[in-house]
Amino acid sequence: MIAKELDFLRISARQLMTKRLRVALTILGIAIGVAAVIGIVALSDGIRYQAIETIKAQSDLTLIEVHPGIAEGVTTLITDTKVEALRSSPHVLAVAPAFMDSYSTKRQTFLQVVAVRSDEIDRVLNLKYTSGRAFSPGAPEVVFGADLKDRLQRNEGIRVGDNFTALVRDYDPSGMPIDRQVPLLVTGALGNRDDRFDQYVLIDMTTASQIRGEQKGYDTVFVRVDDPDTVFGVVDQITAQGLESTGAFEQIKAVNQFMDAILIVFMIFAVFALFVGGLMIMTTMITSVYERTREIGITMAVGASENDVIRLVLYECLLIGIIGGIVGNLLGYLFTVVLNTLGKPFIIARMGPEFSSIIGNEIARLSPEMVVAGMAIAIIFSLGAGLYPAVKATHLNPVEAIRGMM
Amino acid sequence: MTYGIETRAVFKHFPNGVTALSDITFGIRQGEFVALIGRSGSGKSTLMNILGGLDAPTSGSILINGHAVDYKSRKNLIAIRRMQVGFVFQQFNLIPSLNALENVAYPLLFNYAPREERNERALNLLALVGLGERAGHLPHQLSGGEQQRVAIARAMVGNSSVILADEPTGNLDSKTSAEIYQLMRKVNQEKNVTFLIVTHERDLASYCDRTIELSDGRVVP
Repeated sequence: MIAKELDFLRISARQLMTKRLRVALTILGIAIGVAAVIGIVALSDGIRYQAIETIKAQSDLTLIEVHPGIAEGVTTLITDTKVEALRSSPHVLAVAPAFMDSYSTKRQTFLQVVAVRSDEIDRVLNLKYTSGRAFSPGAPEVVFGADLKDRLQRNEGIRVGDNFTALVRDYDPSGMPIDRQVPLLVTGALGNRDDRFDQYVLIDMTTASQIRGEQKGYDTVFVRVDDPDTVFGVVDQITAQGLESTGAFEQIKAVNQFMDAILIVFMIFAVFALFVGGLMIMTTMITSVYERTREIGITMAVGASENDVIRLVLYECLLIGIIGGIVGNLLGYLFTVVLNTLGKPFIIARMGPEFSSIIGNEIARLSPEMVVAGMAIAIIFSLGAGLYPAVKATHLNPVEAIRGMM
Repeated sequence: MTYGIETRAVFKHFPNGVTALSDITFGIRQGEFVALIGRSGSGKSTLMNILGGLDAPTSGSILINGHAVDYKSRKNLIAIRRMQVGFVFQQFNLIPSLNALENVAYPLLFNYAPREERNERALNLLALVGLGERAGHLPHQLSGGEQQRVAIARAMVGNSSVILADEPTGNLDSKTSAEIYQLMRKVNQEKNVTFLIVTHERDLASYCDRTIELSDGRVVP
């Protein structure tokens, strides 16, 4: 059986050899289509990769903030059970549940308070103290973020090591605000982190509960994940618990969505190119069948079935597709090489030298999957385009075909 | 007595109202060498196409080697073309991109025969028609007479017991024509192949065992 197919292939190859120029142009047509597709995918993959690498370099990707989930009006609270489930899940290095509160100073400076356990938050955020030390569990002590420390020192003269009075606002039964005075000791200040913690006041969870006079539920869980690549898995797990997560990983999601949208638009044009290639194959094969009317008639007269004739025509298309796929992949590869060698200096020149470090090696990335896909696209398009001419060939009347009446 | 070709009351009407064949009934014995003559338009080619399974009669039946041809079955028609009936055309009709050997072996491609067997049989037949030395030549490198020899070899390669030749010497000079007739005669006698040869050249028809004449779609008695 295979030997027979090879024989058919050999005959088809011989047919292609008799019209080399036409076949070469057709192959070029399908190859340009394939090159356009894989070139565009390689380029967008490269840009996507660079964008994600940039985000990875600039943001704290392994930090997830978990919030209570709100879906269809139902709020899913963060319970201890859920915190423990997170803590024990693989790829999670540390978790720190927290609740938020707000105090103010006597001069009405607003204080955003994050109530945490000091050992937990330290493990998640890897806190660095520029001065002083962490607060002690259960003690009326606080730690300032870097910016807040500077502001309070400048405006109110509160320094690390000082006691100060915080105002905690309650409301009486009639809804009138009552401010309670709570003495607190500033035990330390954090280094600059370039995130929200620069503005926060950290306080021990037990102390914060005592100040409020009630046990508050968790507003947030800070989660530290072992690797940027495992973030999405952990996020899925959190989502499955009905909770919401935010973090730098959302930027990657946004980049992916954006690149997908761009890819679709580009793909439309690339697919146009492929269709042109397909039409060229169809034209070539229709012409070829027309020219070989007599030959096909003879072939049927000597005992070929309709299937045999279809196979002979489709094998020609298959060969065009295979060669077209190879040439297309080569062209696509050439495109990425040109882009990576010539395009990179151009982009660095436009965006400034600081991008040269971010743009590592490649702007366009050609994956092995894409090469296989390019091959498959070429073959599928070629066979698809050949189907009509092949079937048309079998509809020839052998008698008229041999006489050359067609 | 088994006939190589037998026709019984064969009619062929074309959709445009022309009656090409009318009540054709004759028998050609196995191993006979028969000429089919008649003016152009007398129905010779139509009859040949029907006998070869390329066209179907409107009514009547045809038997090849005693077996009725089922014109409704594509499979049966294909089988007849593959194994029972070989064609020789006026235009030679070789495949231009294939060499002499490949042209002869070409019908076997559709017969699931292994490559070695195909080539061996084709080579033997090329030797039989006197072209053993020219197996690698493409059709355009061969003379008209040589091309027709290749075509005869091709018609025999499926072990066909019947060869239908439609004006096989129409494109050849008289000397070559005579050689082709001698070759067909040789094949006829050595292999006991039944020949039906369309011709309008009376002197060539005289090479044949007997002559069937068609006129206006009828057999002239």
